[in-house]
Amino acid sequence: MNLTGFILRRLLYLVPMLIGITLLTFTLSHAVPADPVAANLGDQAASDPTIVAAFRHEWGLDKPLYQQYGIYLWRVIHGNLGVSISTRQPVSTDLRQRLPATIELAVAAMLISIIIGIPLGILSAARRDSAVDQSARVISLIGVSVPVFWLALVAILIFYARLGWAPAPGRLSASMETPPFHTGFIVIDGLLAGRMDVVKDALGHLVLPALVLSSYSVGVITRMTRGSMLEVLGEDFIRTARAKGVFERRVIVQHAARNSLIPVITIIGLSFGGLLSGAVITETVFSWPGLGLYAFSSATSLDFPAIMGVGIVVAVVYVLVNLLVDVAYALVDPRIRVA
Amino acid sequence: MRSSTHASGWLDVAVTTEAGPLAAPVRQPLVQRLLPHSFRRSPLAIIAVGIVIAWILLALGASVIAPYGPVNQDFVHRLAGPSASHLFGTDPLGRDILSRILFGARLSVPVGIAAVVLALVIGMVIGSVAGFFGGYVDEVIMRFTDLMLAFPTIILAMVITAALGAGIKNALIAIMIAWWPAYARLVRGLVLSTREREFVLVARAVGVSDARVLVRHVIPNIISPIVIMGTLDVGNAILTFASLSFLGLGATPDVAEWGSMISLGRTYFDQWWIGTFPGLAILSLVLAFNIVGDSLRDALDPRFRKL
Repeated sequence: MNLTGFILRRLLYLVPMLIGITLLTFTLSHAVPADPVAANLGDQAASDPTIVAAFRHEWGLDKPLYQQYGIYLWRVIHGNLGVSISTRQPVSTDLRQRLPATIELAVAAMLISIIIGIPLGILSAARRDSAVDQSARVISLIGVSVPVFWLALVAILIFYARLGWAPAPGRLSASMETPPFHTGFIVIDGLLAGRMDVVKDALGHLVLPALVLSSYSVGVITRMTRGSMLEVLGEDFIRTARAKGVFERRVIVQHAARNSLIPVITIIGLSFGGLLSGAVITETVFSWPGLGLYAFSSATSLDFPAIMGVGIVVAVVYVLVNLLVDVAYALVDPRIRVA
Repeated sequence: MRSSTHASGWLDVAVTTEAGPLAAPVRQPLVQRLLPHSFRRSPLAIIAVGIVIAWILLALGASVIAPYGPVNQDFVHRLAGPSASHLFGTDPLGRDILSRILFGARLSVPVGIAAVVLALVIGMVIGSVAGFFGGYVDEVIMRFTDLMLAFPTIILAMVITAALGAGIKNALIAIMIAWWPAYARLVRGLVLSTREREFVLVARAVGVSDARVLVRHVIPNIISPIVIMGTLDVGNAILTFASLSFLGLGATPDVAEWGSMISLGRTYFDQWWIGTFPGLAILSLVLAFNIVGDSLRDALDPRFRKL
């Protein structure tokens, strides 16, 4: 089967996955004792039966559950994710505005983790049990153990409040005008508008939250690269290369590193889910107007359409990332041609 | 000294069990002697075990060790920096941060353990049913598990706590719901590999019922790696609980809890000690758990052993 067919087949996975995710979030958000009426109307309004009835009717809360789900699913298929109860905007519009902010953050964090994690892991394995290896181990274990919200707070305390090196939390300085919305990625929109000052400002705002968010994946990628390298270094072709008199540097970089990348790619894909979890927390601390902050505010106000919208987007991102991972496999390892 | 004997004693169990489902269910003295050694050789692992034990002792003895009560307010010394009378300073209500950290351990450690135990029990029941009966049951259960695993833990936990209402009990339920799928998957894999072993086949051949085979023959043989994995996850459970509390979905601010203490520090940029010390408490405990886990994996994984 060719690559296009493979990709199409994988995209078909999205269908059951999305039905499952919507069903899961739908059940979760409806099977629980909390009442969206109380969460969204003030105390006074919630005690007035006519207002409550009007509210329930407006949002379809007075219909039986299976009908509510049916209606919802029908609309989703038509690209209508409903209207957020708290922002009063279509959920799709909300998501369209917020998703790029999260992707910007997550991609920056992932790049940082790859740039730090892979070389550190390779070095660690090449100098096994050395001081470098031991420090890399401690660094990566701290990375997976540190509470992201605390690291974010400490980073703000030191680099913003104390040293003044980092700009105030947010995506852009207050004095900066947001460039016209094309892609939603401020960096790209800024470039499109030819506003280098905006691009520079946006990148400046991105550095600290991305570094904080990358702490976990730096740890995971370093450990995984090290483990994978150690395994490859024990194989026969490495011994052969060394016996042939290939320089050690070349053995490590050309022979071992390339062969150890496959499991690392898997981990990079898998840690994307973790990155999204971390993004929720990082965004709340850095006032980053992304999906995480949106998920948080909609979860706390029991904004069901918004919560389900977030669920759908997360599922789609998850499937797409896994697809990218599989395609990357084929590129790194010619032995794996999609079957 | 105490910690090292404890570590080796604990590991003997770990090692036997790790070998359990793979080899015959008899002890393997050679493996047993080799592995704890490579663990014991690592000073980092020993220190980590010591830190975990120290935290458990601090939690148990909080009311004796802590200089103040967790909610005692000293209005004269509100927002006071670290000093001799308040080693880690005080918060906006004049509460002693060191004391609150110690009492916080009393909450976080049991909550972490409880979350893991609950998730483990559910995961074990569901995973062993899936692995043991296979076929349709397995297919349906595992697809559902995959679905749950695809969802970012914290978002799932957030929706659950938001829906059930914030609180320690609900945060616990949320972690349990978000975590069982990972255990279900682990247990299923172990059950699958144990199901075909001779002693299980023999038990079935002589007519032992399915339920009895599962409970008396399969589960005892896989329980140890599961318990080990669960133990190591306590650190992560503590971290997740603290995250939920930080977001205002776990413990309420009046309770001495690490996550909500850090959250309080967000509004006081000039009083760095409010958020910094509770975070160091979480870091030290979670890091210790992860070092133990990492060392254990290194010691047990034959691929990483030096040739």
